[in-house]
Amino acid sequence: MPEMFPKFTTSIKLKYVKLGYQYLVNHIVTFLFIPIMVAVSIKILKLGPEEILTIWNSVHFDLVQILCSSFLVIFIATVYFMSKPRSIYLVDYACYKPPSTCRVPFSTFMEHSRLNLKDNPKSVEFQMRILERSGLGEETSLPPEIHYIPPNPTMEAARNEAEIVIFSAIDSLMQKTRIKPKDIDILIVNCSLFSPTPSLSAMVVNKYKLRSNIKSFNLSGMGCSAGLISIDLARDVLQVHPNSSALIVSTEIITPNYYQGSERAMLVPNCLFRMGGAAILLSNKRGDRNRAKYKSVHVVRTHKGADDKAYKCVYQQEDPQGKVGINLSKDLMIIAGEALKSNITTIGPLVLPASEQLLFLFTLIGRKIFNPKWKPYIPDFKQAFEHFCIHAGGRAVIDELQRNLQLSADHVEASRMTLHRFGNTSSSSLWYELSYIEAKGRMKKGDRIWQIAFGSGFKCNSAIWKCNRRIKTPTDGPWQDCIDRYPVHIPEIVKL
Amino acid sequence: MKLHYLKAIYYFGNQAFEGLTTLNIKEHMFILLNYFPAICGRFRRTESGRPYIKCNDCGVRFIEAKCEKTMDEWLEMMKENASIEKYLTPNQIIGPELAFSPTVLVQFTKFKCGGMSVGLSWAHVLGDAFSAAEFMNTLGKVVADEKPNRHINLAQMKTKSTNTKSPIKIMEDPLSIKRVGPVGDNWLTVNNCKMEAFSFSVNDTQLSHFQSKISSKGTNFTPFEALSAVIWQCIAKIRPESEPKVVTICKKSEQNKVDGNNQLISVVKADYPIVEVDPSELAALMKNASFDEREKIEIAIKKDDGVSDFIVYGANLTFVNLEEVKCYEFEYRKQKPVYVGYRLDGISDSGAVLLLPGPPKNGGRTVVAILPEDEVIELKSELKSEWFMD
Repeated sequence: MPEMFPKFTTSIKLKYVKLGYQYLVNHIVTFLFIPIMVAVSIKILKLGPEEILTIWNSVHFDLVQILCSSFLVIFIATVYFMSKPRSIYLVDYACYKPPSTCRVPFSTFMEHSRLNLKDNPKSVEFQMRILERSGLGEETSLPPEIHYIPPNPTMEAARNEAEIVIFSAIDSLMQKTRIKPKDIDILIVNCSLFSPTPSLSAMVVNKYKLRSNIKSFNLSGMGCSAGLISIDLARDVLQVHPNSSALIVSTEIITPNYYQGSERAMLVPNCLFRMGGAAILLSNKRGDRNRAKYKSVHVVRTHKGADDKAYKCVYQQEDPQGKVGINLSKDLMIIAGEALKSNITTIGPLVLPASEQLLFLFTLIGRKIFNPKWKPYIPDFKQAFEHFCIHAGGRAVIDELQRNLQLSADHVEASRMTLHRFGNTSSSSLWYELSYIEAKGRMKKGDRIWQIAFGSGFKCNSAIWKCNRRIKTPTDGPWQDCIDRYPVHIPEIVKL
Repeated sequence: MKLHYLKAIYYFGNQAFEGLTTLNIKEHMFILLNYFPAICGRFRRTESGRPYIKCNDCGVRFIEAKCEKTMDEWLEMMKENASIEKYLTPNQIIGPELAFSPTVLVQFTKFKCGGMSVGLSWAHVLGDAFSAAEFMNTLGKVVADEKPNRHINLAQMKTKSTNTKSPIKIMEDPLSIKRVGPVGDNWLTVNNCKMEAFSFSVNDTQLSHFQSKISSKGTNFTPFEALSAVIWQCIAKIRPESEPKVVTICKKSEQNKVDGNNQLISVVKADYPIVEVDPSELAALMKNASFDEREKIEIAIKKDDGVSDFIVYGANLTFVNLEEVKCYEFEYRKQKPVYVGYRLDGISDSGAVLLLPGPPKNGGRTVVAILPEDEVIELKSELKSEWFMD
């Protein structure tokens, strides 16, 4: 017991020291400014009122000088305001909630797996082990055609799934934002593995009768991080087009991509990927400034494709029987960790408070010059952000990021619960996580959110948002009927 | 009861399922299954080997099928060869993997004319025909948007049979059941010969004719007793070497309405040759057979913790009284079934006879006999000649 006390008191002392240091460095300008102001005002007061008046009168007020200086001021101000990038606001977003008739409990998944792979009991056992450790719950959904034994993936079925998911999300979004189809100027749809002709964005234009001069884009093949790529693209297009709204739809269509073979490395996506989709409305209109939920602060994209191992780590290919599936390599987590480090290195200077950046700089210098054995300092991102949305790619991804960024269980709760309730819905999972945080009533005005997504390529993309207004706990949305049951404890291994 | 399977086929005309997609039909079934969690589960074995159902939301197997004949053509074909009806029901047994074997399967077969048949395969271990009919009737209620008055709860306590105060004596197995070799995880009865089913209807006039012919000394027999006595004698005639002297009778129990296997199982023994006796005596025997063997059966099962395997239907010639099964009450979108067929699978060699209510427009009864295939033709001719039935 006595041993605990010294440690306890030293840790408290350390904590206060750290706090003091942070406060000092982050507000250094104020700290420097105040003494200077005090000194100046004392000096002025010492002079006395008559002296001040004489100094005042001695300054010549020439007309030309006044005009020139005011012109200069106005010029500089105009240049500043014109070159400032437009503020991009996220007006609102909506997530698709699959009906409970599409749900796939563990027992159903295993039974179907056993019947579809009846010649490969080892593969079935492998799937069972993956499912037990996956972190998924019993309410995740697969599209209706996949419920057949064997699955029945026709193109028509894939289009049906796309229609149901995308149109529901967009209808929900239009209801929330009260926007009319004619007001949408930019449309971006991203769906990695299903890319028909005409494209999914053309499908949306056709259904909602969007304008003929709409700027539409369809991103395919870009993996689970495509959602943030779409956001980045929308931001850039909105810089060029003033007074516009952009509709972004992020989804992944499962029907044509359910792997029907028995190679183990390619069976993993079957266990994790589930039906889901989200629609987001971005805007740079002045009028939306007050009603928008979030303001976009930064989007940082990192691409590790130049490295061969990273390029091949999520690879779609045919198995020896000719069945197409996605092969996940064994070093996926290592590559993800490296991509994350790259991304953090870019993001750090943009968002971290000065105290953390200084510390990082000192340890970096120290490691280079003094002693390479010093542990690299991992900046404390918890000081820069209140909420973290980590792409629910799988339990391993969330665990890895929690470890790397030294996050607590509370910070990753949104990601884990989204993985449990909806599975890996690919690019739209970030929006389900954000919806979870709102549904729990934890989002306050001024909160900063960091969305991190990984995707094939290998890419690591981050988006940073700031909460723009007070957000009432929503009464609709995908978590509406189950939020009270969450958070749930997810055991390491679920016994099936 | 685990080796027996109940098969029911409901034939509907075109209006019942017109314009409905598979997804529409499935949606209603999802709501229905909320009320029957045990049906959605799968079997597991405890450490001692006794099977139990784990309610893991696995669900009911759904099969879609198409038939190139119209429903009328099919019903005509059935008159000649009733065994084709097996194509309208799923025929999967429980096993070899208990954990992946559904206990209830449903097959929707669409006919060329637009009619639809709903084929149900129901593992008898879940409940008797009354429970199965209740399941289908609840589906009808769900489709009509009525709330079924069932509680969604798993804890359905059966009223326990009164415990005998005497210690469990090593008794002989009761006559109504037969022990079968360990079936392991393949819940299938092994027969020495192929069993075939055939059915015939008895309309109201024929029925009252029967009853009056058999009634003697003023005692009135119920349709079940009358028909069973007649059929017992006919079967005895076609089995001269091994007259069925012992007959098992299964009737609806008057007691609790909880789902499950609640039938009253009793045994009738005749000590004299059946062929020569007057059918009214046989009917009287059946009327007076009121000794419920269920307790004895439970004791026999408990002897080794429910691990060994037994059969009831077919251990002796079995007569099952399903007159009160509400099979014609299954209404899909206000359409009643045109015809309902019932069968039992997994019957052992002695065979079984089921007595069902007849179609509402004809009244009377439908009799389904499941016998070894070489006895079927003989029985048909026997019934025709003796009792002028077709």
